[in-house]
This record gives sequence, C-alpha cells and structure tokens, in this order.
Amino acid sequence: MGNEPGGFMEYREDDAESAFGFDGTWREFAPIAFTNLLLTIVTLGIYRFWATTRARQYLWSRTRFVDERLEWAGTGLELFIGFLLVMLLFGIPYFILSFVTESLMLRGQTALAIALTLGCLLAIYYLFGLARYRALRYRLSRTHWRGIRGGSDDPGFGYGLTYMWKTVVGWLPFGLAVPWSMTSLWNDRWNRLSFGPFAFEAEAAPSGLMGRYLLFYLAPIVLFVLIGAIGVAAIRSGAQTGGAAAAGVALTVVAGILVFYVVLGVIALAYYAKFFREAVGSLRWRNLEFAFDASTKDWLVLFLGDIALVVCTLGVGIIFLTYRHWKFFATHMQASGEILLDELTQSQTKMASQGEGLLDAFDIGAI
Amino acid sequence: MTGPAEVPVSWYDGRSALRHDGLLCREAGGRLVLRHPHAEGIELGAEELVFREERPGERVYGLQGTTGFRLLLKGEAPSEIEALLPRPARYGRWIDRFGLVRAALGFAVVSAALTAVALTAPSWLGPLIPPSWERRMGEAMVGDFGHRICHTRAGDAALARLAAKLDPGGEPIRVGVANVPIVNAVALPGGQVLLFNGLVQGAQDPDEIAAVLAHEIGHVRKRHVMTARLRQFGVSVLTAGAGTGLGNQAFGIAQLGYSREAESEADAFARARMAQASISPEGGARFFERERKKSGDEPGWASWLQSHPASLDREKAFHAAAKKGVAHTPALNGREFAAIRGMCREDKTVKEFGLF
Repeated sequence: MGNEPGGFMEYREDDAESAFGFDGTWREFAPIAFTNLLLTIVTLGIYRFWATTRARQYLWSRTRFVDERLEWAGTGLELFIGFLLVMLLFGIPYFILSFVTESLMLRGQTALAIALTLGCLLAIYYLFGLARYRALRYRLSRTHWRGIRGGSDDPGFGYGLTYMWKTVVGWLPFGLAVPWSMTSLWNDRWNRLSFGPFAFEAEAAPSGLMGRYLLFYLAPIVLFVLIGAIGVAAIRSGAQTGGAAAAGVALTVVAGILVFYVVLGVIALAYYAKFFREAVGSLRWRNLEFAFDASTKDWLVLFLGDIALVVCTLGVGIIFLTYRHWKFFATHMQASGEILLDELTQSQTKMASQGEGLLDAFDIGAI
Repeated sequence: MTGPAEVPVSWYDGRSALRHDGLLCREAGGRLVLRHPHAEGIELGAEELVFREERPGERVYGLQGTTGFRLLLKGEAPSEIEALLPRPARYGRWIDRFGLVRAALGFAVVSAALTAVALTAPSWLGPLIPPSWERRMGEAMVGDFGHRICHTRAGDAALARLAAKLDPGGEPIRVGVANVPIVNAVALPGGQVLLFNGLVQGAQDPDEIAAVLAHEIGHVRKRHVMTARLRQFGVSVLTAGAGTGLGNQAFGIAQLGYSREAESEADAFARARMAQASISPEGGARFFERERKKSGDEPGWASWLQSHPASLDREKAFHAAAKKGVAHTPALNGREFAAIRGMCREDKTVKEFGLF
C-alpha cells in the first residue's frame, strides 16, 4: 500500500504487449448502441449528445494505455450546449442570410448578393478549419488518464486562418502541394495541444508521401487513357461485327467506370494509410513517441467491413461504426519511450465549457 | 449498521498521475476517509462523490470540484460504505430516475405530442398572426418581384373594379399582374393577389380571369395564405441542410402548396361570389378544361395545376354551378379586359422576368 515507487514506466517497441490495448467487445457495446438508438428516436434526436457520451465512455474505458484505462469525462449536456450555441451563432444568421441574398438577387442587387454569398462561403471555410481543431481540443480535454487530462489554451482562431491559406496553397500548384498542406496542418493542430504539463510535438513531413500521392494524381490519366483505348478497340470491333456488339461496348464502358473508381479508391486509401502512419509517427509527447501500424490492407478491410456490416443489416449496422473505428484506432496505435509519473501533473489549460458543436454541425471526424 | 468499516481502494488525486493505494474507511458519524500509511487521511464528503463509470472489475468515482480526482473501487464494499456511495448512473439523470422503458415511453408520448403540435401549427398559428405583420410580409414578397409588376392606370382600375365586384365589403384586395410568362396566380399575405401575365394572356374572356381571381380571393378570405406560408417555412427549415440553393425562394413564392381541402374551399368561395356578382361560372370550367388539355402535351410548366390537382373534377364542379335561366353579365367590359391584357405591354418601366 502507498504511492507507486519511483513512478517510472518504460515502454519499448519490442515489448510483447503494445502500449495501447483495447478489450471491448461488440456484445458489450450492443446494449449501449441499441438503447442509444431507441432513446435518440423517441427524443427526436436530442438524446444523440448523451448517446455519443455513453458510447465514448464505453470505448475509452475499454482502452488501456500502458497500465491504466482511459476515461471519457465529457458530458452529454456540454455537447448539447455546444450544438445550441452553434445553431444560435451560425445556423440562424446563415438561414436569414440565405433569404436576404435571394431577395437581393430578385431585386436586382446582384453584386451585393454575390458579395454576401462569397462572404458567407469564406466564413464557412474558416469555421470548418476552426471546428476541426476545436473538436480535437475538446476531446483531449475530456480524455483522462490516471486522473490527468489534455487540452490547450489556444482557442484555434489562428489555426482557422492557417487552415484557409495552407489549403489554398496546397491546391495552387495543380494540387501537387496537397500532401504538404495535409502534413503541415496536422503539425499546426497538434503543436497547439498538450496532455498534462507537456505539449505534443508533431513534425510530419510530406516527402515520404509524394510517391503514393503522385500515383493517385496520375492514376486517373493512365486509367482514362487505358479505358479509352479499350473503348475505341471495342467500338472498332463492334463496327466490324455489327450491332450485337453495341451492348458489349456499353458493358465495357460501365465496367471501365467501375474499375476507375475502385482502383482510384484503393490508391487514395493507400495514400491516406501512409499519411496517417507518417502523421502519427511524427508525433511526440515528452519522451514518448507514437506510431500507427495500420497498412493499406488494414484500412481496406476496415472499410469493406463497414460497408458489408451496413448493407447486410439494412443500415442498422451504422450504430456499430464508431465501435469499429475506435477499435481500429486503438489497436493500431503504438507508443514507445518512458513516462515519469512524478512529473506528469494536471493540465493547467483552460477547460472549454461546451462541446464540439461546430464540428458536429459540419459532421466531420476530429482526428 | 453504522459501525466502522473499510475497503481497499486506489485513487488518483487529480494533481499528478501517481496512483495511491489505501483504505476507504467509514468512520464515526458516517464520515468517509481515505487512509494512507504514510500520510494523513483525506476526508471525502459523501455528497461530493460522483459516480463516474463502471469498468471491468471496478467502479470509478470522482469528486465534485476536483478535476481528475478518481477513486477506484474493486468489487463490492461493505454495505455500510456502499450505503454512502452515489448510485450508478447509466443513461442520464432523467432516464435513470424513471427506468429505461418508462422514460422511453414518456419521451415517445411527449415527442408525438410535439410533432402533432408542430404539424398542425400552421393551421392554428396562421390566423393568429397580426394583420400588420401579414401586410408587411406580403409587401416584402411583392418587393421580391422587383419592377416586374405591370401597372397602367386603366388596367389597375379594371382589376380593382373586378376585385370589388367579387369581394364587396372588407378591406380591398390589391390585385397586380406580374410580368412572368407562366400560367399562374398567387395569393400573398396581407390581401394581395398576383396574376401572372401568362395567365392573363391565355384567358379567352374576362370570366376566366374572374374565376381565378375569385379563387385566390377565397384563399385570402378563408385565411389559407399564412397557413400555407408557415407550412412552407417549416418545410424549408427542416430541409435547410438539404438544399438552400438559390431559386428556392423564388419558386416558393409561386409554388405554394395549399391542402386539397383549402383548394375546394377556395373554389366554392369563387363559385358563390361569382353567382352573387352574376358572373358565369363557365369561365372557371373553360379555364380548367384548357389547362387540363394543355398539361397533356406540355408537362412541367403547369405549376398552377401541380398545386391544384384533379382539375377535371374542378372543371365539372364549375360547369355544374351554371344554372339554366339565370342571366349572367360579363365580368368586365371589352375595354376593361383589353386594358388588363395590355398592362405589361404598355407599362414601359416594367422589367422582363429573369434573375439577372
């Protein structure tokens, strides 16, 4: 009995057990998911915020980091308040503005209407980046480990602007700088965040991603030429053998389009898998280094599984997707290094009092 | 029952990540104290303990006002201590109090009631809207047409006379012709009616215009307009995320969905008022007949008919209203009819229809 002696923990990559572990089961999650669905329906969707909280509480509590479980300390109420705030501050003005611009348009004030619409779009663009950062900050500030939480004092308004210009610059050289903007924005987000007294450090670099990105970039052209060539050949043979081949041509075109999207989708996934490995792999926190070991195949299996689950259950399976995604995330996360528990003190960052309403409004993921 | 008791526990103090192991003791007077071999006991107010969560093999409690303080209790504690611990929370405070089934049923009933109120709101809220608001709304909508409302002195006078004939007494209905080449007419809030020029040009005689105008006046007098506007507004709020594209509002003004009952009511109103004014209902029958035949080979344009289904039945109803042996007078004289038909041509300041 007493304090932990020394309070020193060391993890090496070759340790038999990963620093992160997940011991939840879908059977345990099912009662949570189904009661959440029921309550969300009978409350006309309002319970959704409490449902999210319950699901996260389960997923976090079944996730182990080194020797202690994570804990989700957020509440449904703060998510609900976040939602109401976003509706009040952005939803209603946007709704009114869309009416005003139409009226202006109809009354012939075209220039003013276009200016207003552009202003609106710019604001949404800005808020999109801001939302992404703030959701991450909220989630870290509600994630406890050994009673310690994360967070940030940076409200992210600067990040919103960074997001705007870096995304534009990423697309400017014919989209070739997108890997740079993605890694750079990842760094910009994580370098603003901390856990306990220590900041995260992210140094993701785009150089290792360019190969796969170029593959994704050039694939449409190659595929287009290939499918075109096959199509032309089919038409030529069709012209020789007569009208019966017309169906064959149509089939080739449909098959070509299908192949186009599947191949492109897999290449995009391969790029994203690499990006995520690079992004997480560049992340450090004090003397800990993180890694993410999901290969393209792992991601593919995840997504095909998602699709199969949703289709085979006629959509009901959607309620298990958060479980699948979190499990995927938790089992592929790795960490190595050492943690000095003595110096790991409580985060002094300000606690945001409302949840991720803004992100909720845009319906995108945080990480 | 109130005797001393203890149970081994672990805790994090919320200040550092170090885990502490010790005993949770119930002491005299029902006080809960965390005992630690090398330090003084920490007194916990039982009412400050908060249930956090249930994990495999352990329960977690927090302490109100101390971020990160976590008490981990493995297994069961002696009943003397259990009695002082807060009860586990599961679904949320309200639901836990009533139980899942009862809470779900309760929510379902409340939700159904709210849905019913929301769905019927347009019909009882519409008539409650003050006339001054309605008038302002109508003027804003007319404003949306910009300078596309045709005006000539003779035409305006003819329209006003026809409206007065069909609707004697009460606040006068303001009638205008919109320079839009489609067959449509619309009643706006605040007692305004717009006939679209396509309809005016298509009319073979003044009785047809009278029938359409009487129908729209029916919507105004039977207070359908605000009800339909509110319903449309509700739908647009619900689908705001789905499509807020430009043009929704413009088409919304023209394509207003009245209920079928409202349409029949407005038709009946029109027939009654036309009879009072000695105007032949055959004008209405002719109008419906022609539009019905046109819609056969020209689908898509017929917004008027889309929101006014079953035009054959309506044609028959107007036809049936014509009584033999009753003398009718034309709704307008030839000069007046010509004045209305010429409004958009003769008004030199009116703008063409188009968004730009």
